Amino acid sequence: MTTVLQTLAALRRRPLRTFLTALGTALGIATIVALLAVAGGAQRTAGKFLNLGSSDLGVFQRDAADPTTSVLPVSLVAQLRATPGIASATPIILIVGGIKHQPAAFVFGAQQHSFVTNRYVFTAGHMFGGSHQAVVGSGLAADMHLRTGDALTVAHHRFHITGIYHMGVAQQDDGAVIPLTDAQKITGKIGEATTLAVSLNSITSRTQGVRIITRRFPGLLVIGDGVSAARAGVNGQMLAHLSLVLAVIALVIGGIGVMNTMLMAVVERRAEFALMSAVGWSGPQIATRVMIEGITTAVLGAALGLLIGILGAHLLVRLLGAQEYVAPAITAWVLGRALLVGVLLGVLGGLYPAWRAARVSPAQVLAQR
Amino acid sequence: MPGSQVLLDRVSRSHGGTQILREVSLQVAPGELVALTGPSGSGKTTLLQLIGSLDRPTTGSIYVDDIPVHSLRRPASFRRDVVGFVFQLHHLLPALTVQENVELTLVAAHVSRRERHARAQELLDEVGLRQRSHALPSDLSGGERQRVAIARALAGRPRLILADEPTGSLDSAASERIWKLLLSVRERHGTTILVASHDPNLREHSDRGLSIIDGQLSEPSLTPTADADRNRHNQEIA
Repeated sequence: MTTVLQTLAALRRRPLRTFLTALGTALGIATIVALLAVAGGAQRTAGKFLNLGSSDLGVFQRDAADPTTSVLPVSLVAQLRATPGIASATPIILIVGGIKHQPAAFVFGAQQHSFVTNRYVFTAGHMFGGSHQAVVGSGLAADMHLRTGDALTVAHHRFHITGIYHMGVAQQDDGAVIPLTDAQKITGKIGEATTLAVSLNSITSRTQGVRIITRRFPGLLVIGDGVSAARAGVNGQMLAHLSLVLAVIALVIGGIGVMNTMLMAVVERRAEFALMSAVGWSGPQIATRVMIEGITTAVLGAALGLLIGILGAHLLVRLLGAQEYVAPAITAWVLGRALLVGVLLGVLGGLYPAWRAARVSPAQVLAQR
Repeated sequence: MPGSQVLLDRVSRSHGGTQILREVSLQVAPGELVALTGPSGSGKTTLLQLIGSLDRPTTGSIYVDDIPVHSLRRPASFRRDVVGFVFQLHHLLPALTVQENVELTLVAAHVSRRERHARAQELLDEVGLRQRSHALPSDLSGGERQRVAIARALAGRPRLILADEPTGSLDSAASERIWKLLLSVRERHGTTILVASHDPNLREHSDRGLSIIDGQLSEPSLTPTADADRNRHNQEIA
């Protein structure tokens, strides 16, 4: 206990060095927090996107670079509807970046009468009834000050707004829906769709539905949960892998940073450790003291890193222009993992310096002085 | 607690082909204050380090109170329980207060907080620095720092004090105070003290003077005063 208190006092009396050591850890932790939060947010968003119109499953082209570049023939809808366990299926076209000044807003092309569009809840007006008509989400309407009767331009095509809907799902409420045929013309995908939304019957679970469709249509990618939605497509997988790699790199950099700073501190304070050894401190006692210093500064750094990471996550999505559809998920699990990593960094980064400190030869060091 | 008896038998120390000490044999009686003089690089510091288990001899044996110092498995506990070091440069830990520096040995010995505090206060009183307990070393003068270092050396109630140039970086007034302090320690606690120094005052304060040149020890003739003191001291011990 005394060793802990004396170590804390010593850290407090060297505020600049303590701060700089903690900052090294903080930057590593901040990177991890930001990445985890953004990845978690993207996953949550993907999960919500999957539930477009309360569908159970989303069907995409396998091996597409990402879900937005998936291309499927609309003729598949009939085959899916005929598949056991499936209650309904409907084609959807996804247009990204189609609305000027709202580049993050999604525009969905959907059939006027489908299980997806039938579930939309309108706060004003009604579902479109024909070509060149659109309904917009409450979020987009608020951002662009749109009302029913106004015009919305999608990829240089004007649409008459017939209704404002609210679904309670950010990326749907921040987007718009236009007739499928209009969306096909805009994207040049005549007779095609980006995805097929699938509704299962009441006795078929999502897992069963994924298994049934995958077995019958091996060329399709079926997404049944937020995690696989976030990883869908080559780009999604790359992003998932990249997040992991970046987190590991951040961990390694943080660990090396802590070790380097602790090692520098040990080298700089060799005389102190030599003196401690000379007055009777054993090697393990000196090593323990260095470890306590390392863990304490790492935990301080982790706390600072959490703060920087939370701010950084929000800044990151803002810089990427993705704030419309990715809200960083700052959960207790994300924060807990970051703190745990901080303690691990302190332990791992402090091990070698502690070993070095314990082996300082008092005779050599004190004689040099 | 009486001071330690120190015995060295043909102790040599070489390093990198250089012979630092050559077959040094020495016997120091409990409670004796021995002055070790010699030019820089003659081997004074090495001799003290060997006796204090900071280093190991290449050949020969060293016993302190029958403890084989030359072959200790756990030298840290020997340094903690038997020896007190005073260095030329005080080597106080800069981030610890005066009180915490004095307690350093006691922390290693797992002495209770209350006892550590009481003992440190008592020793700081003895060296006249009780009122500076909460000061940092950077706030003290050179002489004050060395007095703290002496208090720290005494904290573990050592039977043997090894002082290497304790007044080497002090002015004459501060040096005189340090000598008085060491003599007072010897008088009050009966501690055996070995001091290496260039300070000419050392010989008049010590019981016995030893000279070391090129790693070889010799015992020059003692001054009449020192001889008389030595005899008186040895009689007291007997």
